[in-house]
Amino acid sequence: MSQLSYQEKSLYGSLVAEVLVYGPYFFLHHENSIGKVALMIIGIIILQIVIQLAIVAFTRNRLKDERDKLIELRGYRAGYFTMASLMVLGLAMLWFHATVGELPVNRMGLHFISVFFGILVISDIVKTVTQIVAYRRTL
Amino acid sequence: MPSILNQIRELRAAHDMTQQALADAIGVTRQTVIAIEQDKYSPSLETAFKIALVFGVALEQVFQYEPKGRR
Repeated sequence: MSQLSYQEKSLYGSLVAEVLVYGPYFFLHHENSIGKVALMIIGIIILQIVIQLAIVAFTRNRLKDERDKLIELRGYRAGYFTMASLMVLGLAMLWFHATVGELPVNRMGLHFISVFFGILVISDIVKTVTQIVAYRRTL
Repeated sequence: MPSILNQIRELRAAHDMTQQALADAIGVTRQTVIAIEQDKYSPSLETAFKIALVFGVALEQVFQYEPKGRR
């Protein structure tokens, strides 16, 4: 772990926080609710703060250089494509389920929020994994 | 085969300099110096000049460009 730079430790921390909270949310919840979505988002934020503070406390050199910025851009590009693709897919599925009558119109907003935040988290996981892979391959 | 090669490892050894010392001198992380030495990352022109300046040599003594297919 001491061989890792601050940026890499921070990425692993983000990944752990997102997977630990979003994993159980994604696989275990059976019905969408505002409370569950809010709990998932707040859980990720709190866990991120705790983990990132611990990493900052135990890392002296927090320099960010040109290679870090390049890898960050690469991660954001992967995250953007994931988000755009999933957003189209998610909206199309919502529209399909509403059209065939499986989804009550009065609950459409709730499902949209659940899909929207889910896509945000998945895109961020893709961004983080892309950056970790870039660091492991040295770019 | 990479098209930009460098002699940083040899120059570091000649100057008895660690990767961390070189990284501190040019303002990058040690991991970036490792990536440059392994020819897996081509630094910016500014960083390349900084490296040459640290060793007190011309840029072409640190970095060489070989167009692909000429080896």
